[in-house]
Amino acid sequence: MRLTAAWASSLLVPIALAAVEVEVGPETGLKTWIWRHDGVSLRLVQRLPDQTRAYLMARGFDAEWADRVARACLFGSMFRNDGTRPLDFDLDQWEVVHAGGRGRMLTRERWEEGLAGSPVSQAGRIAFRWSLMPTRQHFEPGDYNWGMTSYGLPPGSRFDLVLRLKLGGETIEARIPDLECAPETLEERP
Amino acid sequence: MKMRLSLSFFLTFFVFLSSVSAVEPGRGLTEVPDRPRAPGFELPDLDGRIHRLDDYEGKVVVVNFWATWCPPCRAEMPSMERAWQRMKAAGGVMIAINMGEDEDTVFQFTADYPVSFPLLLDPATDTAGPWGVRGLPTTYVVDPEGRIVYRAIGGREWDDPALLEKVLALLRAQSH
Repeated sequence: MRLTAAWASSLLVPIALAAVEVEVGPETGLKTWIWRHDGVSLRLVQRLPDQTRAYLMARGFDAEWADRVARACLFGSMFRNDGTRPLDFDLDQWEVVHAGGRGRMLTRERWEEGLAGSPVSQAGRIAFRWSLMPTRQHFEPGDYNWGMTSYGLPPGSRFDLVLRLKLGGETIEARIPDLECAPETLEERP
Repeated sequence: MKMRLSLSFFLTFFVFLSSVSAVEPGRGLTEVPDRPRAPGFELPDLDGRIHRLDDYEGKVVVVNFWATWCPPCRAEMPSMERAWQRMKAAGGVMIAINMGEDEDTVFQFTADYPVSFPLLLDPATDTAGPWGVRGLPTTYVVDPEGRIVYRAIGGREWDDPALLEKVLALLRAQSH
């Protein structure tokens, strides 16, 4: 995992872990992690694999490919800039820390590569592409995006997410610890 | 067919409701530096009528990019309709370009979210690149000279007085 020169050359400002909150949905039992800093927030909500299977199969994915995607650790995600400074992010600069290793997120572009040669229809690929969080984005104050994020780990896996973003030109690095991919079913939860 | 669509619609709604509990609107409109020329488009509405951006030269046009499965897109539709009711009296235009879905899906959406402004279909999402759309919804306000004046990424309450005033101010300038 390498940072691009533009990101690596900026001053990195590490942010305390205390900025992360964890909630459990009283009705769904799904966990939500919320990271906040200076008006910026990232909300990550577990998605059960069955949720993703249903969503993709309704858009023309066959069972095999819907299952492949569904088991790749997806979260419903909301990234907001309610602060006062412009925000830039590039998911290719983020790191998934798991079992002593560091990897990258499965972005739109990586999924497109993965789906190349699959029987998934063009309409299905388009729907999936737009359902994922943009890989790169610029938010002015008041902007936000909603979309799925994908981490490429088996259901139930635990990992840390190192995120990097530019806020008003300042590079911020933060870590969301101990995220959990949704289990295959909620009954598996300890 | 209707049964399949209804099931699909329900599943989509359920999945996203349980993924992100609430969709709060964003705020404000960002002024776009240097007011770049808006890329043209030529797309059909649900009746098959072709709309081109050039057709609306001389008017203020709000161009919204959206999809039925996108919760913030759905959430902002009623306020877009209310804003449209205010705008059209002053000669403004509102257009929503659907990204990647078919006519049946969009038509079914209108049963739950009735809107009276044109919903255009872009099944291949070809318009997204030239406009710089990366996520949905994204909305632009185009001035009578065909230049992009404002941008909003994420949903908005389009009839929020402060937000709508920016659009109405352009419309007042258009009429002079």
